Amino acid sequence: MRGILMLTQAEINRLRRNRRYLIFTVGLPVILYLIIGKQATSKAYGVDFAAYYMVAMATFGAFAGALNGNSIRISEERKVGWIRQLRLTPLPANAYVVAKILTSMATTIPSIVIVLLLGRFYGGVHLAAWQWLVIAVIVWLGSTIFAALAVAVGYRFPPDQVQPITMLLYFAFTILGGIWFPLGGVLQTIGKGTPTYEAVRISTDVIGNVSVPYGLVIGLVIWLAIFAGLATLSVRSMAEAV
Amino acid sequence: MSHTRTGPVVSFDNVSKHYGSLKAVERLSLELRGGETVALLGPNGAGKSTSLDMLLALRKPTSGEIRMFGDDPYHAVKSGRVGAMLQSGGLMPEVTVRELVTLVAGLHPKPIPVDKTLRAAGIDSVADQRVDRLSGGQTQRVRFALAIAGECDLIVLDEPTTAMDVETRQRFWASMKEEVAEGRTLLFATHYLEEADQAADRILVINRGRLLADGTPEEIKKRAGAKRMSFRLPHVPEQALLGLPGLVSLETRHDLVHIQTSDSDATLYALLDAGHRPSEIEVGSLGLEQAFLAITAEDDDRAGEEPAAAAR
Repeated sequence: MRGILMLTQAEINRLRRNRRYLIFTVGLPVILYLIIGKQATSKAYGVDFAAYYMVAMATFGAFAGALNGNSIRISEERKVGWIRQLRLTPLPANAYVVAKILTSMATTIPSIVIVLLLGRFYGGVHLAAWQWLVIAVIVWLGSTIFAALAVAVGYRFPPDQVQPITMLLYFAFTILGGIWFPLGGVLQTIGKGTPTYEAVRISTDVIGNVSVPYGLVIGLVIWLAIFAGLATLSVRSMAEAV
Repeated sequence: MSHTRTGPVVSFDNVSKHYGSLKAVERLSLELRGGETVALLGPNGAGKSTSLDMLLALRKPTSGEIRMFGDDPYHAVKSGRVGAMLQSGGLMPEVTVRELVTLVAGLHPKPIPVDKTLRAAGIDSVADQRVDRLSGGQTQRVRFALAIAGECDLIVLDEPTTAMDVETRQRFWASMKEEVAEGRTLLFATHYLEEADQAADRILVINRGRLLADGTPEEIKKRAGAKRMSFRLPHVPEQALLGLPGLVSLETRHDLVHIQTSDSDATLYALLDAGHRPSEIEVGSLGLEQAFLAITAEDDDRAGEEPAAAAR
């Protein structure tokens, strides 16, 4: 366990220095919120637009960080042989993947906190303490399940293929998840099954203080199971080829 | 350490690794004893890397059993008793050399002070550079540093000096000798014969996945026929020469005879005692390189005959 934490610490240090990662997880959601957050006076999903856009942007930064940050890196580190090298150390075989997921879980927290602070002090969103806590946790858990998807993609595909695949997943889960604009009509029918939509809707329901449909929560759990299953399959199938 | 003095450090028992019809390693059996420096010598594609991968639990044998310190490879590696450097091993990008060595040392049950490791690997001058901005030779030495970052009983190196220039290579073997002097067992794969000859006290020759020879460099040279001899001798049937003492191989073209022999004096005296009077006698010594080529060529010849025999 101590070894896994040491590796996680090293991974976090690397990410902190990585500008691309900071732009995706913090820069883009903050800028979008500053530009768009207070533009609309209408309501979205039953709450003020500024409140909806706050959770949407928090989810955006966190899920993009978990997905983009990991998939390409894992694929590249597999290609250069770092994963093989680690397997020659006393670290247990699954330590690399565990450390990647822990790193995602740790590094998405600051980006979520920053966007929520922005919503409170710039967007004028006022919530009870428990509401802040619950939406932070929901956005956090809903986004970091993408770390598992990133493991699945990063292990399975070489770097040149991972890039377009990741971008495709990134845009699909952003647009169909109602991250950039609230969904309605056909898009909502398609998109309401996505984990990004589920994380945002659970949060807006908490903000609106209405009861959260069980279906949304169950949906997130199912996605976690799917992504984790895919990740396990990818790692297993590549066990001899790393 | 007491264990390494008694049982074998490494044992392969009838180990095979097949990829479909390709037999990368075929019924390989060997044992390494504590304190030995052993070279695994073979041409590219001989099965060296596959064997080391299996030893280090990166691949599973198709059949047979590998033991390290009396344990299975995975647990032996995880116990931290093995330091390894593979050709295909890479470095974590975006960190400095010192950060990386510190990390890997920290993962060991018995870490060695980082500065000592950096000096031993000759990378103290680039300690604060990022690992993704190093030259090929420097990268290779960082990989070596990772292999020796913790106290270990066995060091496994796959073609360790590939990207090194001559000077670096000499420094590398000098620091390697210090590691071995402390009682460690060293196993390294190479296709540089010189390297095997100079650094190893035991050589395992491997070709097409099988162990062909096992002995000291001198024994290997002898086994292949350490001397090469040629002369002209008209009107003598090949059969008359086949019984010569020390003879390893014989090739005749018209009256020109080429012989490889483990004892050129005995071969020549016997030839003269039999009443033959060869002319243009040339005797040359066979280096390890030719010995190695002789052993593998012999093996390749046999391999060539097998399918034909099966067809009949």
